[in-house]
Formats: sequence, C-alpha cells, structure tokens
Amino acid sequence: MSPVFQVQNLNKAFGGLAVTQDVSITMNPGDRVALIGPNGAGKTTFVNLVTGHLDPDSGKVLLGGNDVTSLGPTPRVRQGLVRSFQVTRLFPDMTPEEHLALAVMQRTGRTGAIFGHYQAKADVMAEVAELLRTLGLDHIATRKVAEIAYGQQRLLEIALALALKPKVLLLDEPAAGVPQSDTPRIEAALAGLPSDLAVLMIEHDMDLVFRFARRVIVLAAGAIIFDGSPQDVTRDARVREAYLGSYANDRSAA
Amino acid sequence: MPDASGPLLDQSMQTVLSVGIDALAYGMVLFVISIGLSVTMGLMRVVNLAHGAFAMIGGYIASYATQTLGFGYGVAILAAVVGTIIIAIPVERFLYRRIYGAPELTQVLMTIGITFCVIGIANYVFGPTLKTIPLPETLRGPVDLGFRSIAAHKLFAIACGVAVAGALWYLIERTSFGVKLRASVDNAAMAASLGVRTRIVYAVSFAVAVGLAAFGGIVGAELLPIEPYYALRYMVTFLVVVSVGGAGSIPGALLACLLLGAIDTTGRYLLPEYGEFFFYLAVIAIVCVFPRGLLGRRS
Repeated sequence: MSPVFQVQNLNKAFGGLAVTQDVSITMNPGDRVALIGPNGAGKTTFVNLVTGHLDPDSGKVLLGGNDVTSLGPTPRVRQGLVRSFQVTRLFPDMTPEEHLALAVMQRTGRTGAIFGHYQAKADVMAEVAELLRTLGLDHIATRKVAEIAYGQQRLLEIALALALKPKVLLLDEPAAGVPQSDTPRIEAALAGLPSDLAVLMIEHDMDLVFRFARRVIVLAAGAIIFDGSPQDVTRDARVREAYLGSYANDRSAA
Repeated sequence: MPDASGPLLDQSMQTVLSVGIDALAYGMVLFVISIGLSVTMGLMRVVNLAHGAFAMIGGYIASYATQTLGFGYGVAILAAVVGTIIIAIPVERFLYRRIYGAPELTQVLMTIGITFCVIGIANYVFGPTLKTIPLPETLRGPVDLGFRSIAAHKLFAIACGVAVAGALWYLIERTSFGVKLRASVDNAAMAASLGVRTRIVYAVSFAVAVGLAAFGGIVGAELLPIEPYYALRYMVTFLVVVSVGGAGSIPGALLACLLLGAIDTTGRYLLPEYGEFFFYLAVIAIVCVFPRGLLGRRS
C-alpha cells in the first residue's frame, strides 16, 4: 500500500528555539494514529506546519505522493488534508445544514450557480442529509449552531471534516470539553469513520488514545521520541520520563 | 356642523397620506443607498465613509449618460451601476483590501481620503454643478391611485426599495453565495479552511454594495440631488441608517430607513424651521436605547 501522507524531516525554529526537530511520519490509508506529548512538545506547531498555516524551515509534506509543502491551507484541503479544530470554530449564526452544504459544495466545486438556492442542489442536499443522520444531528439540522449543545457542535465539526471527503483527517482533541454523557456519541462517531481514511488524532485523554489508536507517536521538545504500538508506549522509558510521568502526576494530583 | 368637518377631515387625511408617501419614498431611497454600507460595515467590518462617493459616481455617470450621450433612463441606470462597479474593483483590490481588519481610525481616514479624491476627480472631470438625471415620461407624471394621485417617481423609488430588500434577503439567506458570505463573516479562517476563497467573497460583496449605492443614487436623485458635495453631504445620513438599524441587518436597515424617513419628512413638514433637529434628536435617542442598533448582529 502506498503511503497517503508523509512528513519528511520537518524542521521549524522560532528565533533560536527549535520547536519542530527532524520530524518524519508516514501514514497509510486506514491508519489510526494518536499524536501525544506533554504541553509545549510542539504538537500545535506540527499541525500548523502540516496544514500549511506555518512554513517549515526545511523538510517536506507529501499528500498521496504529491509535494504540498509550498501550498497554502486551502489547496491542501482540496487535496484531501482536512483538520478539525481544538476550539470550536463553527459559524455561530449558521445551521448545521448550512455548514455541511457549504462544505459539500466547496468539495465538489458545485459553486457555479452561486446565486441559486443552496437547497436546490439535490445531490448536495442528499449527502448533507446522510451526514446529519450518521452523526445523529438530523433533529437539529436547522437550528443555529449558537443554540445547540457543545457535544453536538463537536459532532458537527467531525461531520464537517467528513463532508470534505478527506484522505487524511487531523483531529485536534475531538472530545475535549464535551460532557461525560456525550463522549460515547463522539467515540461512536470516531469508530464509524471511513475505514480507508487515515486519521491522526492529537489527544490528551490517554483512555481515548488507547481505545482509538493502533499506533502512537510521542512528541517531546519538538522531536519524535516514540513511534509504535499503544501497548509499548507505556513501557518506553523515555516516554514515561517525558510524558506519562507528568500525566501520572496530573492524575494523582487530580 | 357636519358639512364643515367633512372636507376638513378629508384634507387632513390627504396631508397625512401625502406626508406618509413622501416619508416612505425617502426612506426607501435611503434604504437602497445605505443597505450596501450596512453590508460592508456589518459583514465585512469596514467603516466605509466613501460609500456615498460610490452613489455619487453612479449619479454622475447616469447624468452624463442621459444628458451628454442621450441614453435612456434604464440604459443609464445599467451603465452607471456597471461603471461604478468597474471603478470600484481596483479601489477594493488596492485600497480596501489593506484596511480589512485594520483599526477603525485607519479605515475612517482611508475612506475619508477616498471620498475627497472622488469629489475632486468628479468635479474636475464633470464640472462643479448640480447633475440632473431626466426621468423617463412614465415616471414623470402623477399616478392616479383612485383616491388620490402620487408622483410616479416616488412609487418607483418605493418599488425599488422593496425589490432590493427582497433580493438581498434571498441572496444572503438562501443562496450558495450567501452561505459563503455568512461563513466568511462568522469566521474567515474557518471558511478559508473549508476552501472558501474569502477574498473573492469580499470582493463580490463589495461590488454588490457599491452597485446598490450607485443604483440608489440614481433612483433617489429626485430626493437627494446629485451635486458636487453629495458624497460628503449625505455621509452622516447613510451612517446613521446603518448604526440605527444595526450593521449587517437588512430588516434593521429597512426599519431604520422607514422610521428615520418618517421622522425627517414629518419634521420638515410640520416644523421646517427646525431643519434636521428632530432627525438627529431621534438618532441620539435610538442610539442611547439600542447601542447596537434596532436589530444589530451579535458581535
């Protein structure tokens, strides 16, 4: 299987501080990878480099074999690299239906009749209805996002990302801030992601990481210190020192 | 004495109706011109003091097209709207794009500068005189509504206002473009990450806004005459509509125009010696009670 997503020797420094050091990751279709690391490990910088919001000092990002390093965020989305957001960044005055219709229209390039009624495109609306059903959002399809529950907003983010039919999906803490009662829905949505989609999840919640990921990458001080199975990650001495130690401390303090 | 009160009552009814029609026509003209400003200020967050300058450009082009080139009224409107948009495209590309997201004072200074430049250029090219746009025959006379007759151009202005309000509502709330526009307004970065080319969305919105300004400038020329300092004279009036109605709100702008049109027209009719005193008194009162405007968008 040819890799769908490759990061090769990525480097980035702010001033004299190296925040990303020689990071290389290869992912195949269907991969479920969790990217973890203590605060300040450089996860956010890494995501910004990959999505095109930051330019690397050196290194490459490849999507399906194509070098996209020089492209901005929007063309990368068009090529199938889609990111959901850590902080809810939906459009508060728009409905879930409008969100998804927009995403589907953008993906399919069905924006020719821009002054036509957006609901007039039957194929677009059929796909929107299907996404709403899959994520259990159909009953709130025409409510403004500002009025729906936080857990539903997070589900809509996933729906929105799926509407773009990504090849690679970056999920930034999909369950953060969601009430305990709603997390099963999020996890069900994650479990139901298309099987050929490569998913890279940035996550703090280790329980979720162990349930979701089949591979874990640990970032510390901008460099990868571990890349392997979830079973092995807890046994790795460097990881314990860099990450799980502070995680365990957090736990015992909480 | 029933015989005497009948005609008296009838006459006062006629007066009320007459003032009402004038207020409605004036309000609708204000609406057509100002709604574009409401879009740029509310949706694109640009304090565009040069909005009236685009209405003025439209008026000048229409006047030139009818008076000098001998075009008909309809053709002149079309030429003026298209011409104003063509002039506005490079202005948006090279000047406005710099001030999206800039501090309001920067936007104010830039757009005041544009206003004075437009006034200077227009008067240099077309001469510093009042520009008239002769109405076609059909809009010149009165229209008999059965119980009374009304100037046709006022009915036309009212009809234009209603049509613009409906079309704009449909555009923003129901079309693909409207969805993109609202997304870009709510969160430009997120819209861009979905693949929306927000620059194009803004440019199209800006073009629609100045096109409406030009259209309103011509349709309203009988009530707000096209003269050398038009862009400056009505600058505050257009801003008032937006701030009273609530920036970005079409129903708000419509409500503000009808309300302010009614206050202004009634004031001028009943107490002409006070000038625009009551108009601005009402503005102050509304801004005190509704600081975000009557129907303002959440910030």
